[in-house]
Amino acid sequence: MELIEQFGVDPILIAAQIVNFLVILYILKRFLYKPLFKVFKERQDLIKESITKTDEARQALEKAQATEKELIKKAQSTATQILKDAKEQSVDIISAAEEATKKQTDKMISEAKEQISQETKRAEEQLNKHVAELSVALLKKSLDSVFTEEEQSKIVKKAVEKLKK
Amino acid sequence: MVSLAPDVLFHIGSVGITNAVLDTVLVDILLFSLTYFIYKHHALIPGFFQTIIELVIETFHGMTEQVAGERTKKIFPFVMSFFLFIVLANWTGLTPILTGMGIKEGHEILPLIRSASTDLNVTFALAVVSIVATHSMSIRTLGIKEYIGRFVSLNPLFLFIGLLELVLEFAKIISFSFRLFGNVFVGKVLLHSASALSLFLIPVPIMIYELFIGTVQAAIFAMLTMAFMAILTTSHKAEAH
Repeated sequence: MELIEQFGVDPILIAAQIVNFLVILYILKRFLYKPLFKVFKERQDLIKESITKTDEARQALEKAQATEKELIKKAQSTATQILKDAKEQSVDIISAAEEATKKQTDKMISEAKEQISQETKRAEEQLNKHVAELSVALLKKSLDSVFTEEEQSKIVKKAVEKLKK
Repeated sequence: MVSLAPDVLFHIGSVGITNAVLDTVLVDILLFSLTYFIYKHHALIPGFFQTIIELVIETFHGMTEQVAGERTKKIFPFVMSFFLFIVLANWTGLTPILTGMGIKEGHEILPLIRSASTDLNVTFALAVVSIVATHSMSIRTLGIKEYIGRFVSLNPLFLFIGLLELVLEFAKIISFSFRLFGNVFVGKVLLHSASALSLFLIPVPIMIYELFIGTVQAAIFAMLTMAFMAILTTSHKAEAH
C-alpha cells in the first residue's frame, strides 16, 4: 500500500484517465482517421482513374497516329494518281489543241489563199478594163486628126471587139 | 528531487488535480485542435501540415496492415491513438516554457505541467484500455468459445499453459504501465539532474535525446498493443495453417 501511495495511484484518476482516453479514441476515430481515410480513398480512386484515362488517351493517340499514317499514305497514292492523270490529260489537251490550231491555221491559210486569188483576179480584170479604156482613149486621140467620126467609131468598135477577144 | 508521484496542485472535491492531469488536459486540447484543423481543412491536395499527419497515419496504418491484415480497421484506431496521445504527453513534458511555470508552495515551486507518462495513473489507465480492448476484440472476432479455449483445456498440460497465459495477460498491464512510466520518468530525473549541473550545455542534448526516447516509447506502446491485438484475434486454427 505504501508503494502504491508513493506512486500517487488514485483509482478515481485511473478511471478518469480511462474515460479520457476512450473519448479521445472516439473523437480521433470519428473526426481524424475517418476523413483522412476518405481522402486517401478519393486520392487512390483519382490516381486509378487518371492512370486509366492516360492509358485510354495513349491508346487513342496510337490509333490516331496509325490512322494518320494510313491517311497520309492514301493521300500520297491519290496525289500520285492525280498527278499521273493530270499529266496524261495535259498531253491529250496539248495534242488536241495542237491539232485544232493546225486545222484552224490550215483553214485560215486556205481562206487567205482563196481571197488572194479572188483579189488577184479582180485586180487583173480591173487592170484589163483600165488598159482597154486607156487603149481606146489613146486610139481615139491618135485617130482624131486622120479619120472621120464615123470611121473612128468603126475602128474603135473593131479594136474593142479585138481587145475583148 | 523528482517525486515518483505527480504534484497535487489543487483539489476538486476529494480528487487531487495533479500537474500530470493538467498535462493530460493540454494533450487533449492539442489533439482536439489537430482533429478540428484536419476535419475542417482536409483536402485532396494536402498542405504541409496535412502531409505530415498523413505521413504518420499512413506509416502506422501500413505497419498495422502488415501485422493484422484484414483486422486493421479494428486495430488501427487504438494503435494510432495510443501513439499520438503518448508522444504528445512525452513531448509536452519536455517543453521548457510549460514545465518552467509553476505554483509556489512553501519553499518549493510545483511545476504546472508534468509529462502525463510520468504518472502511473495515466500509464496504468492506458495499459488497462489496451488489454481490455485486446480481449474484447478477441471475443468479438473469435467468439467466446474459442476465446475461453485459449486459456482453459481438458488436457492438463494445456490447462497449465492456459493458466500461465491468463496470468501473463494481467502481467501485461503491469509491464505496459511500468515500462512507459519507467522510461519517461528516468528521462525526467536525468534532465532534472543535468539542469542542476548546467543551464544549457548538458540539458539541451539530453532534452533532444528524450524527445527521441519519448517518440520511441510511444511507438513501442502502440506496436505492442498492435501485436497483442493481432495475436489474440487470430484463431488457433489459422495459426496452425
